[in-house]
Amino acid sequence: MVFTLGTVAVGFAAMNTGNNLLYLLLGSMLGFIAVSGWLSEQAIRGLRVERRAPRAVTVGHDLRLAYEITNRKRRLPSLAVEISEEGLPEKAFLAHVHAGGHATARSVNSFVRRGIYPLGSITLSTGFPFGLFRKERDIHLPGEIIVWPRTDRAVREPAPGAGKVPRTGMSVRGASGSRGEYRSLRDYRAGDDSRDIHWKSSARMRTPVIREYERDGAETRWICLDLKGEPGEAAEVAVEVAASLAARAVAQHRPFALVAGEEVVEPANGMGQLERVLDVLARADFKPDTPAPSPPVAPSNCIVVGIDARSGFGDSLAVGRLARLGRGEEAT
Amino acid sequence: MNLRLVHRRLAVLMGLAGLVAFAGGAGFEPVSALLATVALGTALFWHPDRELSARMERLWLPLATMLVVRALWHVFVIQDDIVIPVVDLLLLLLAAEALRSLEAPNDLRLYALSFALILASTAYRPGVLFLVAFVSYVGLATIALMVGHLRRQSERHEIRDVPLGRNLLGTMGVLSGLILAVALLVFVTFPRVSQGWAGRGETMATSIAGFSDQVSIGEHGSTILGNPQIVLRVEFPDGPPSGLGGLHWRGRSYDRFDGVRWTRSENLPPSSAPTSWYRDRWEQDVVEQRIFGSALDTRVLFALHPALEIDSDNGIQPLFDNAGDFVYWGRGQPAYTSWAPTGPPPAEELRQPARGYRPSDDHFLQLPRRLDPAIVELADSLTEGLDNRYDQAVAIRDWLQTFTYTRELPATARETTLSHFLFERRAGHCEYFSTAMVVMLRAIGIEARNVNGFLGGQWNDFGNYLVVTQNEAHSWVEAWFPGYGWVEFDPTPAGVGTTEIVSSWFWPGRILFDGVQHRWNKWVLDYSIDDQVGIFSGLLGTRTLEEELAGTITSTEEPGRSPWGALFLLVLAAAGWFWVRAASPTFDPATQMYLQLRTASSRAGVGVSPGLTPLALVDRIRSERSTTARAAERLVDLYLRGRYGREELGASELREMREALRVARRTLRQRSVE
Repeated sequence: MVFTLGTVAVGFAAMNTGNNLLYLLLGSMLGFIAVSGWLSEQAIRGLRVERRAPRAVTVGHDLRLAYEITNRKRRLPSLAVEISEEGLPEKAFLAHVHAGGHATARSVNSFVRRGIYPLGSITLSTGFPFGLFRKERDIHLPGEIIVWPRTDRAVREPAPGAGKVPRTGMSVRGASGSRGEYRSLRDYRAGDDSRDIHWKSSARMRTPVIREYERDGAETRWICLDLKGEPGEAAEVAVEVAASLAARAVAQHRPFALVAGEEVVEPANGMGQLERVLDVLARADFKPDTPAPSPPVAPSNCIVVGIDARSGFGDSLAVGRLARLGRGEEAT
Repeated sequence: MNLRLVHRRLAVLMGLAGLVAFAGGAGFEPVSALLATVALGTALFWHPDRELSARMERLWLPLATMLVVRALWHVFVIQDDIVIPVVDLLLLLLAAEALRSLEAPNDLRLYALSFALILASTAYRPGVLFLVAFVSYVGLATIALMVGHLRRQSERHEIRDVPLGRNLLGTMGVLSGLILAVALLVFVTFPRVSQGWAGRGETMATSIAGFSDQVSIGEHGSTILGNPQIVLRVEFPDGPPSGLGGLHWRGRSYDRFDGVRWTRSENLPPSSAPTSWYRDRWEQDVVEQRIFGSALDTRVLFALHPALEIDSDNGIQPLFDNAGDFVYWGRGQPAYTSWAPTGPPPAEELRQPARGYRPSDDHFLQLPRRLDPAIVELADSLTEGLDNRYDQAVAIRDWLQTFTYTRELPATARETTLSHFLFERRAGHCEYFSTAMVVMLRAIGIEARNVNGFLGGQWNDFGNYLVVTQNEAHSWVEAWFPGYGWVEFDPTPAGVGTTEIVSSWFWPGRILFDGVQHRWNKWVLDYSIDDQVGIFSGLLGTRTLEEELAGTITSTEEPGRSPWGALFLLVLAAAGWFWVRAASPTFDPATQMYLQLRTASSRAGVGVSPGLTPLALVDRIRSERSTTARAAERLVDLYLRGRYGREELGASELREMREALRVARRTLRQRSVE
C-alpha cells in the first residue's frame, strides 16, 4: 500500500513539475510493481500440491500437515510460498523448490474441539519477490480431519453391576488379540494387533486380514454415552470422560464397547478399537430430547456417561456439576 | 548464507548509491559526505551487537536534533536553501540505521532513506553520474528487496536454510534489467503535460567573463585563457555548415564607449533591423541551430547573427531587447533553436548606396570625449577615396588584421589605451581590435557597435555537435547598413577560433564524456513532448504537426521512412494482447466449445443472460430452430458429462462436439441473416 501510494505521489509530482527524472523514478517504481506481480504469479503457478494429513488427531495435540509440492515449471523456481488451509491458523512455508523439483512443506496446527473438520481448498500465496503485493491461488483438495476428544481426563474407576454379559445376550465378537475361540477373518484396521494378522490369507488376498475370536465377554466394559443435553462444555466433558474410559480399558488390556445414540461399537480391544470408539465420539451430537442409550446388553452391565446422572445402569458418571463448576478432574 | 548480513550490506549499498546520485546533482558539504561515506563503508563490514547498538542510539539522537535545529536555522534565520541541511540529516539517519545491530527490523527505514536521497537528487539537474547511481540503485534494490522478503519470511516461519544461490541472484539481476526497461518505456511514452524542469538552485551556474553590462578593454584576455569550461553545445539538424571555426556566436552588444569601458545604454531606443530585412535581403540558406547552453551567471542567448527566430526547447522564455540581443527569462540551462542565414548579403549589394532607417546617432556614432584625434585621422586616411560603407569597413578591418593577436594584457595603465594599441603596441586581444574598428567606423560616420560572443568551437564527432568553450570568447564589430541591418566584421587577425588553444591532455576524454553528458541532457533532462511526437512520428512514418505546418517536406523529398517502427508497435500490441489472454483463465476444450456456443447464440439473437444454465440454453435454442437445437443439445450433453459427470471425454467425443458446434454456428448464422 505504501509503495503504491508512493508511486502515485511520484507520478503526480512528475506531471506537475515536468521533472524528467521523476518520470524515470516513476517508471522504475512501475517496473517494480510489474515484475513483482509477474513473479508472484509465476511463483504460485505450475505447482502440484498433495496433502499428507493424518486421519485423525486428538484435541490439543499437534496436527502435522505435510504438503508434497512439485514444481512443474521448466525454468522458474518457486520461492517463499505460503500454504494455508481454510479455517486453520498456521500456514506451511515453502522456502524454495527449483524448476522441475519436489519439496515438502509442513504446518502444525491444533484443535480445541472434537469433531469432523472438512478440508476443502488450500490457498497458495506469496509476496515474492519484494513483498510489495500478495498473490493467491486456491487449489481444491478435499479431505477431512477427525478430531478426537481428549483421553487423558482423570476419571474414577467405574464399578458396573456384575460386569458380565448374560449368556443369552448379544455375542461379543471382534475382540481380536484376546485369544478366545477363532471365529472369522476380517480386513486389517489401523491399530489392530499385528500378531493377529493371518499371513497366509493376507498373502492370498494381497491385503492384510486379521483373525477374530469368539470369547467370553465377562471382562468387557460397556460405555454408554448419554447424548441427552445441550451441546456445550458439559457435553464435551462427558465425551472426554467416555474417551478416557476407553483409553483406560486399552491400558488395562480389556475389551470395551461403546453405545452413543444409535451408534454401537461392538466389543473389542486394542488401539484399533480405541480409534473406532474415538471416531464415534468425535461425531457425537448432544440434543436435549435424545433418549437414554439402549445398549444391546443389560444396562446394569454398562457405565453410562452423561451430563446428568441416569438410573438403571451399572454405574453412572455425571459430569454436569463438574462442568458447571469449571472442574474436570474426576467425574463422580 | 547469513541473510541478515547480506540484506544489510545490500541496503547499505543502496544508501551509497543514493549518496552518489545526490553528489551527481547538487554536490555535498565535504565533511558530511565524507562522514556518511565512512559510516556506510563501515556498515558494510561491521555491525554492533544489540547492547552497543542501544548505546550508539543515545549518540545519534542529539546529533539528529542538532541537524534539525540547523535546518530550521537555515529556513527561518538565514533563509538559505533547505535541501542541503535536510540531506545532511538524511545522511545521519542513514548512517545511524546502517550501524544498528543486524537484528534490528529497520529494512523499510533504510529503503526509505536511500530512496529519499535519490528523490532529492532529482530536484537538481544531475549529470550522467546520476544515471550510473540510478542503475546501480535499481539493481541493488531488486536484490535487496528480494533478500529482505526472504529474510522476513524465513524468520517468521523459523526456516534456517534458504537457498540463495548465485543463479537466483543472477536471475534477480536480470529482472532489474527488466525493471529498467519498464522505466525506460514509461519515461519515453508517458505523455509530458508540463514544461521541463529547470532544476533547483543555481549551484551549477558558471561565471563567465565579458557579458556583464559593462566590459573594459584590457580587463579580460588572460582570464579566459585556457578556460575549457563548456558554454554551448550546438547541433545542426540539417548538417553542419562549412567553416565551423568562423561561426560567430553572438551574445551581447555594447553601444557606449568611454575610452576604457564598453557599456549598454539603459535608454537605448529600438535599434535592431526588422526581421523582414534579414529574411528578404539576406538570401543565403538558413541554418538551424539547436543550442544547449550551460547555466551561466548571465542570461544571454547565443546564436548566429542575425537570428530570424528563436524558439525555446525547455521552457525558458526568450526575450528580444531594444539592441536586438536575446536574453531569456527562466532558470537552469537554456535549450533553444535558432534560425539564421549562413552569411551576410553579397559585397556587391552592400556596396550599393541604400536609404532607410538608421539607428540612433547618439548611441552608435558616440565617441569618447577625449578620443585621440590621431585615431580619427587614421580612420580618414584608411578610408580615403572609398565611397561606400562596405569598402570603408573592409579597409579598416583589413588594416587591423595586419596587427598581432595576443592575449597578453598591457603591462601598465598607459598601455591599455586605444591609442597605444593602434600606434605603438600594434598587438592585443580581440576587444582591442573590435573597439578600434568600432571607434574608427564611428569616426567616419558609420553606425557601429561592439559585440561579444564566441568564435568557432570544436566539433564533437561522438555526439555530432559543436562544443563551444570559454576559450572561444570573442569580440567583434557590427556595422549598420541601411536596408540590410547590422552586418558583422571581425578585425581580429588569425589566432583565435582554432583548436590550437585547446591543449589539455585530457581534452579528448573530456569531449567523449561531454558527448555522453550532452545526450543525457538532451534525451533525459530536456526530453519533452516535442521529442515524444518526433519519436512516434518517426516510428509510425508520419509527419509531425510542425512539419505539416512548415511544409518543408515535399512529395519529391519524402524521406524513406522505415515501416519497422509501426511494425514494432504492432508486434508490441500483439504481445500485450497475448499476454492478457494468457493471464485470463484457461478452459478445457469442452468448456471452450460450450462457451463458443453461448457466444454464437448470443450473436444470433438468442437471449443469453449471464446466469443461463446449459440446459436452459438448449431449451431456448429449441424454441427457435430444431436443427440448431439438436446440435446444441448434443454439445451441451457432452459438455455436462465431462464437466459434472466426471467422465473423461475422449478424442471422438471432442470431435463430435466440434462437429455439433460447427453445425450450431452455421444454423445460428443463417438465422441471424434471416
